[in-house]
Amino acid sequence: MPLARADLESLLRTRRLDRTLTTALPAPDPAGIPDEFVCAPTGHTPLDARLCGGFPRGQLSEIVGRRSSGRTSLLLQTLASATARGELVALVDALDTLDVASADAAGVALDRLLWIRGHVVSNPGMCRDLNQRAMEQAIRAFTLVLQAGNFGIVAFDVSEAPVDAIRRLPFTTWMRLQRLIDGSQTAGVLVGGESMARSSAGLTLRLTHGIRDSGCGIRFGQRLFEGFDLDARVVRARARAQQEDAAVAVRTLAACHA
Amino acid sequence: MPNTNPDSRRANPESHIANPVYASLYRPPQLESPSASLAAIAREFSPRFECHRDDLVTIDVSGLERLLGPAQTIGEELRREAASRGVRVHVAVAATRAAATILAHARPGLTIVEPGREADALAPLAIGVLAMAVTDERRPVLDTREGHGPNVSARGAPRVVKKLDETLESVSSTLTAWGVKTLGELAALPSGDLASRLGREALVWQAFARGEDVRPLVPTLDEERFESTLELEWPIEGLEPLSFVLTRLLEPLSTRLERRDRGAAVLHVLLRVIDSGSGRSEYVRRLELPTPMRDVRTLRTLALLDLESHPPGAAVDRVTIVIDPTPGRVLQHTLFTRAQPTPEQLSTLLARLAALMGQDRLGAPAVVDSYRPGAFAMSPFAIDHAGARPSTGSGRAVMNSTLVVSPSTRAHPEPVEGERSFRTGSSNEERAVLEPLPPITSALRRCRQPVPARVAIDNGRPVRVTTDRRGFVGGTVVQCAGPWRTSGAWWAEGKSDVGSRKSDVLQTSDFRLHTSCWNRDEWDVALNDGAVYRIFQDRDTDAWFIDAIVD
Repeated sequence: MPLARADLESLLRTRRLDRTLTTALPAPDPAGIPDEFVCAPTGHTPLDARLCGGFPRGQLSEIVGRRSSGRTSLLLQTLASATARGELVALVDALDTLDVASADAAGVALDRLLWIRGHVVSNPGMCRDLNQRAMEQAIRAFTLVLQAGNFGIVAFDVSEAPVDAIRRLPFTTWMRLQRLIDGSQTAGVLVGGESMARSSAGLTLRLTHGIRDSGCGIRFGQRLFEGFDLDARVVRARARAQQEDAAVAVRTLAACHA
Repeated sequence: MPNTNPDSRRANPESHIANPVYASLYRPPQLESPSASLAAIAREFSPRFECHRDDLVTIDVSGLERLLGPAQTIGEELRREAASRGVRVHVAVAATRAAATILAHARPGLTIVEPGREADALAPLAIGVLAMAVTDERRPVLDTREGHGPNVSARGAPRVVKKLDETLESVSSTLTAWGVKTLGELAALPSGDLASRLGREALVWQAFARGEDVRPLVPTLDEERFESTLELEWPIEGLEPLSFVLTRLLEPLSTRLERRDRGAAVLHVLLRVIDSGSGRSEYVRRLELPTPMRDVRTLRTLALLDLESHPPGAAVDRVTIVIDPTPGRVLQHTLFTRAQPTPEQLSTLLARLAALMGQDRLGAPAVVDSYRPGAFAMSPFAIDHAGARPSTGSGRAVMNSTLVVSPSTRAHPEPVEGERSFRTGSSNEERAVLEPLPPITSALRRCRQPVPARVAIDNGRPVRVTTDRRGFVGGTVVQCAGPWRTSGAWWAEGKSDVGSRKSDVLQTSDFRLHTSCWNRDEWDVALNDGAVYRIFQDRDTDAWFIDAIVD
């Protein structure tokens, strides 16, 4: 007896192959098991559960937060998780602030990380457009890496960039990048102080210091800085209904002092 | 003496060849003139052979095992072939050319070296054999046709081999004075100390003594030359029209390479430029490709990007492409590993990024063996990565797909908040909470140039931090930890400037630079705006700086 279309779709859905029929993202696995071919897990289980597996592939995602809100820690954790799975990752470090020792301590396989360091004059003086040019150059580098394809995660880090330098970028930049990454196996991650891609972003994750019994979210010992207690909150997710999520607690631990 | 020095490990120049086997034929001096050349004998066995001199030839016999048999049989066949032509030769078969060449000089008859035992086979030989055996290596490793570049290769390898004959005499006398008489004794010397005392050329001699190759085999080509030239009716300027010319030249070359199962190892672009005063001159660019390739688009893009970085400077009226061939790359794809960018894609991407950002601004980061805060190194981003690999980095294991069940943690049904745990399988029964890993590591963001800061101190602890730098407002310190005292490289500073200690932060007009030594007290401070900084006080100048942001 020939199968009806509905039966075929049901079978494909059972085998999780329904993306061949529609461009809609598959429903998250009810068991909470991340599918690494759909999402790039961060390696932090509660956060991955909240993100339905991790940062979605084929989309731009954002990690936003104030300074010292754990953005870099989470980014390096995500890169470490990707390199451990055998993926190649790229980091467009627009302001050249990556601490290699931190990346190594986070577990990033450094030989699988393509690090692109931006040209930044930290104090440009009268030449105010220098940082802007560096920003545009970094965007071009980010575009080239996305075009090359087959990277697991491509991160664009402008965490410490002035807000006006990011706002001066044409908004079509992010739409173009989203079109570029659409349908690929790459998860694009933007890291900044505030949301950049806005509606072009597939997922926006905001990090803040969590208020705990221990204090304001920053833990200090007698002679050591010990880490952060953070709250991660999904503020925008294209694949889900627009609703405020409860925060996920993320705890960081300071690496040993050199 | 076996070579156990880890410094001696070097990349095999022909690592793309699986299990390389080389045979060297050396014809000792004879009274009568030889009836046949060694090249003719070598050609009977392999097209990949290198004629070093009339009396010395090295043959790549990799793969002949399937045709002739083991190395012993190959060596006997070589001797038999030479004898049938009336030539008496020494034959040595080894996994490296250096070992085969030296042993062919040193030992008559047939010598077979087991793979991996090259250093042991060479160890008892006297050092004097080096001068006799590797005379052909004195010629420059690199092509001297480079147009305008410095005296280094595209990968930055210096021309150390060129000076070998000049240094051999001094090296030999020094080694004799040290009591080093055999190759094994030379191979066992610490490489770093040897280089610091005798120069980098000594490392090349040591590599020979260890039976390691310093350059790949360069086949003696007498048949096909992969070269194509196009004379233009009118000179062209700019890269866009040149792109069409390059495509037209590269397409037939690529077809010929494919027919011969070859890939391009080196791409030479020779442009005849029209100078304003002196007529015409040749402009040469040489591209060493990271992996054998013959894709026209990739080769054209790489050539164009190179010319974009190094433009010829005048109109071009003749374009010549020369390709140095090498055996093609054999790939076996699999469905079970993650797709990776192809070497062609990565090469093109890296070339584009280098043209955009600068060659020194991209690569793979690497940690260095130093306590210097913020120290790092950049290494070239590897082109050929294996597929999925286990996590073997120096950091913590974070593989989600690896199942490592720990009995001690089986009791926890759900992961503890803040800890990572791993699950696998598709059913609830198969889920296992695995070894809990530590929380996420707090990362630093480095200020490559430390930001000068003003720090108020109370009871020996910072209480307020302010700066003049835009974006670093500062504020009141609400929590702090420290100090961590760290210093280093003062011994190196003392060599150059005895008696006066210099700080690691030299103040110039309005910025500060890191120099060799450092001596400072570090603090981690949390300000009232929520930011956490790593600041330090330079102990020589008492100046304060923001070194990093904890993020």
